[in-house]
Amino acid sequence: MKIRTTATIVFLLLLLFAGIALRLLIARQVDGSITLAIPEQEFVLYRVVPLISALIVGAGLGVSGMGLQVLLRNSLASPWILGLSSGAGLGVMATMYFEHTYGATFVGSESGGAILGAVGTLSLVYILSRRRTGIDPMTMVLVGVVVSVLCGAGIMVLQHAVPMGLRGSFTTWLMGSLPEVESWWKLGTLGGATVFGIALISWWGPTLDAACLSDDEATSVGVNLPRIRTRLFLVSSILAAIGVMLAGPIAFVGLIAPHGARLFLGGSHRSLTIATAIMGACLLVFADDIRQIVDIGSGRLPIGIVTSVIGGVVFLGLLLRNRGRV
Amino acid sequence: MRLKISDVTMRYGKLTALQGVHSSADGGKVIAVLGPNASGKTTLLRTIAGLTTPSKGRVELDGVRVDKMTPHDRASKISWVPRIAEVSGAFTIRTVVELGRYAIGPSESRVTDALRQVELLDRSESLWHGASAGMRQRAAMARALAQRTPGGMLVLDEPSSALDMHHLKSMGEMLKQCASEGDIVIAALHDISFAMEIADAVIVLKEGRIVLDGQTNAVLTPSSLGGIYGVDLNWAVDEAGKRHLVIA
Repeated sequence: MKIRTTATIVFLLLLLFAGIALRLLIARQVDGSITLAIPEQEFVLYRVVPLISALIVGAGLGVSGMGLQVLLRNSLASPWILGLSSGAGLGVMATMYFEHTYGATFVGSESGGAILGAVGTLSLVYILSRRRTGIDPMTMVLVGVVVSVLCGAGIMVLQHAVPMGLRGSFTTWLMGSLPEVESWWKLGTLGGATVFGIALISWWGPTLDAACLSDDEATSVGVNLPRIRTRLFLVSSILAAIGVMLAGPIAFVGLIAPHGARLFLGGSHRSLTIATAIMGACLLVFADDIRQIVDIGSGRLPIGIVTSVIGGVVFLGLLLRNRGRV
Repeated sequence: MRLKISDVTMRYGKLTALQGVHSSADGGKVIAVLGPNASGKTTLLRTIAGLTTPSKGRVELDGVRVDKMTPHDRASKISWVPRIAEVSGAFTIRTVVELGRYAIGPSESRVTDALRQVELLDRSESLWHGASAGMRQRAAMARALAQRTPGGMLVLDEPSSALDMHHLKSMGEMLKQCASEGDIVIAALHDISFAMEIADAVIVLKEGRIVLDGQTNAVLTPSSLGGIYGVDLNWAVDEAGKRHLVIA
């Protein structure tokens, strides 16, 4: 591993440890003041669980975004461009609707609805984007946008059909939040799947590098494009779906983390995947740190709002920087 | 190595890009593919390189269908140079050239040699996105040189469209060098003078059909090409006594 790559990964890890330490130590007092102190034992879990969730969701969304940017050959692609967020939202809204109307959710919980919606949407996008020679990136973006719009319409129909109170619950879910109470089994399973997915994409790094060439060039140097695109789609989608399952729709991490990592490491995807995972985890951990500190009079902000504010500004910066090329 | 093109037809919906193309070639030759715009040159080259499957007919390299080869086999036998090379990541020129070795294993020396041949060794750490069209075309050539196995096939789609005179001359020398090492070199060209300079044989396409196929000197004449391109051509003789086709 080159010195620059090692130095970058060490730097990002130190940054991540700083964010983790801050999250563990930071506390808001009843009078609103902020202190840094080792938490009492009974409160430790309430900080460790969201912290672990932030690591899983941030790393997974970051690498998912990177995979999709390679798959779609679009540096502004993110997990949400394929309709994942709106699909999950429709699943949650449908769960709420069925519970209200029939007294049963059919899928267990809102998380079940989110996963079902996300997987259903992604499957639809995948099927509609397939061509004789495999996934067509441009078709996939267009299908993703159209499916997003259709899911959005479905959400509005269901919102119209449920009482006002339920609309509030749905809006809260849409803002995204890290769980403070979650089973260790679920965290372990989703964490393990995320690490496995990240390791797979890192392993495929050289193929991802070659897949950044045009279709003809990539094929001519020996890349099996249909196979790597299908694999990337599946693993990237699963990583993003895990994020939705744990924290709801968290915007912009999947877009910004790969770009942040590229600033340090360039385009080689084996090391870039690792750096992107750490960068994504950093983003979410620091966003969680910020929400512990910022209070606009209504308690702690949902983490999705913090990532949206940070991400929106960075996104605009990216657009302005790349306006000649995008 | 022997290339055999048998009754190749390529259709895109109602459009017929190639119609019943037959030809063959042996190693050690440079073959120029000529023809007006939209005559099917790129489609023929992509079919020959195994990048697309013809609607009808087959292309074989030593009896093996190129579109049925495994990606590894194809990469080790056929190198491709596109008209416009495209890269979507933040790569250096050297990394892009190294990608030519993706399937057949890394080779620092082959990459360095290839970069030296196209005169990009001193610019190899420059970012791809900052490179000019000519540099990108030379880098794509270097990638093919780093990838090629002597005695294989080199397929080039208008490889000289962005090159200055100096690099055009050295491109011609590189192609002839590859042929002298046993490669089948097939290049789509628009520069007739360049084709006459480097090609042992030519294939001329019009509206998806081969209209001329043979030795360069025998095939390329003012009367044969003039009708195909729809212009009046004449011979002009330069100071060295070489004949060139020029527009009358």
